[in-house]
Amino acid sequence: MHGYANPARFLKIARWLTPVLLVVGLVLAGGALAWGLTQVPPERLQGETVRILFVHVPTAWLGMAGWTTIAGASFAYLVWRHPLADIAARAAAWPGACFTAICLATGSIWARPTWGVWWVWDGRLTSFLILLFLYFGYIALSNGAAQSEASRRIPAIFGLVGAINIPIINRSVEWWETQHQRASITAGTSSIDAAFLWPLGIAVLGFTCIFGGVLLARMRAILAHSQAEARLRRKAMQP
Amino acid sequence: MSPFAALLRRDLAAMFGSGARGGAALPVLFFLAVATLYPFAVGSDARLLAETGGGVLWIAALLAALLPIERLVRPDLELGLFDQLALRGVAEEASLAARILAHWLSFGPPLMVAALPGAALMGIEAQTLLNLELGLLVGTPGLAALGVMAAGLTAALRSGAALGGLLAIPLAVPLLIFGAGSLDGNADGALALTGAASLVLLALAPFAAGAAIRAARE
Amino acid sequence: MSWKPKHQRMALLGVALVALVGAVLLAMWGLRSQASYFYVPAQVESDPPAVGQNIRLGGMVLEGSLGQADDGVSILFTVHDGEAQVPVRYRGILPDLFVEGSGVVAEGRFTPEGTFVADTLLAKHDENYVPRELEEMTAAQAKAAVAETTK
Repeated sequence: MHGYANPARFLKIARWLTPVLLVVGLVLAGGALAWGLTQVPPERLQGETVRILFVHVPTAWLGMAGWTTIAGASFAYLVWRHPLADIAARAAAWPGACFTAICLATGSIWARPTWGVWWVWDGRLTSFLILLFLYFGYIALSNGAAQSEASRRIPAIFGLVGAINIPIINRSVEWWETQHQRASITAGTSSIDAAFLWPLGIAVLGFTCIFGGVLLARMRAILAHSQAEARLRRKAMQP
Repeated sequence: MSPFAALLRRDLAAMFGSGARGGAALPVLFFLAVATLYPFAVGSDARLLAETGGGVLWIAALLAALLPIERLVRPDLELGLFDQLALRGVAEEASLAARILAHWLSFGPPLMVAALPGAALMGIEAQTLLNLELGLLVGTPGLAALGVMAAGLTAALRSGAALGGLLAIPLAVPLLIFGAGSLDGNADGALALTGAASLVLLALAPFAAGAAIRAARE
Repeated sequence: MSWKPKHQRMALLGVALVALVGAVLLAMWGLRSQASYFYVPAQVESDPPAVGQNIRLGGMVLEGSLGQADDGVSILFTVHDGEAQVPVRYRGILPDLFVEGSGVVAEGRFTPEGTFVADTLLAKHDENYVPRELEEMTAAQAKAAVAETTK
């Protein structure tokens, strides 16, 4: 595992893996969305609106996976002090925040026809909105630390603290009586009909590949930026 | 006198003094100002005030607790206090635990007293007031921990104060939800959850803020 | 300080762990006895909320209970949870998912006569997603088909 932590080796792998992930992700997600929009039958009660499932569920998963990435990479950075871990955490913040926002928006659009309201303050929706604000806090703190040339460990600490929200989001539908329904897919069993489950699975896989591709691309950009800065600094030091 | 008590005494003296870290009366004045302004904003409908007043007092308490974030850690970090304490063998975590206690003492009990006139201004019922006081008793220590944590994380950053609020507010939401939720009806469950959120913040804050200050000192 | 920084940290860590365990126990107890997001009819029967107090009422719409009130605009239906039933009156637009037998959360208050007057209706979706074709089957067939796919 530590072999990949070498920036040169990381760049060598990321250079070809980034486009592969992006292309595979776009094909899978695009295919799943086209399938979901045209081929999947309407749902028994919701009718056509069920199709928003194929965006809502993958983005919900990636909104949470984004913070899990931040927390995991932050932990690795705090323990092993490896700069790549910090770069991974920094790179995951914006895509994670975007997916969280898309999830909240699609959920709200979905809720209007099915539940009858745009928004309710139940445990699931509230904890997911908090996740979005945590992303904003992390991004602002990370940028603030960069501007003040403060230690990168400061945003990493916040990344770890914010991780307590992830299990709360996950369990919220069990702990409280929520308007949001309970989990449809739990360890090996699913209460989603196969007609919806297959395109959903492919959409989740596709969106995840896109997330991975964007993450790697952003990591490469941050690495390139810091290398360029280091080079400039060296130049400036020379007489 | 034990070193912890000495630190606590020093923190309290600084907070109630007039120096860079002084101004302990500010949160209470802010709290009372909100309680006075609210009836002007929504009108003097007594029923509406009594119904919503408890929640407004909770928001006022939350913001009042976060008001001094800028002054909680930064001045001491700039003065090099934590370097001195490190030389004398005091862990950052220990000095920050003392600071959380000092911060709580500086605004928690005063806010609970200020909630009495605040509740009178809103015409809040006795039972709701009792629940509000109990909620503040278990919730404000968590707010104190959160304030010190946000202060520690932003102490080394130029854009400190606004950023501290941005970090603290999402983590304060559970305290507000359960605290305000305990105001009506079945209070026990909501109070227990307020206490649980408070304990989690109290457990995390000294370590998060301590690690941040160690990172800032390097 | 008499203790080394490392020992101070260990001691504080011990206190923090105790606090976390306490938080978990408190939360577990609090979640069980908290005021729930909505009342179910059985709770209404055993521990009735005050007349006029704003609450949410949750449950299933009783089959065959949907009807119109005398004023011709309001609709009447019964919410049940298998144990108890509550009559509900509502005036407004119904959400798509609101059908007999589906889950519903109604926001409103009780009248002195024991009728629940709802201002807002929220249809509650369950975790099952079933295509419309399956609807054509009888309920038992559909259940079997769902069970088949969820194995």
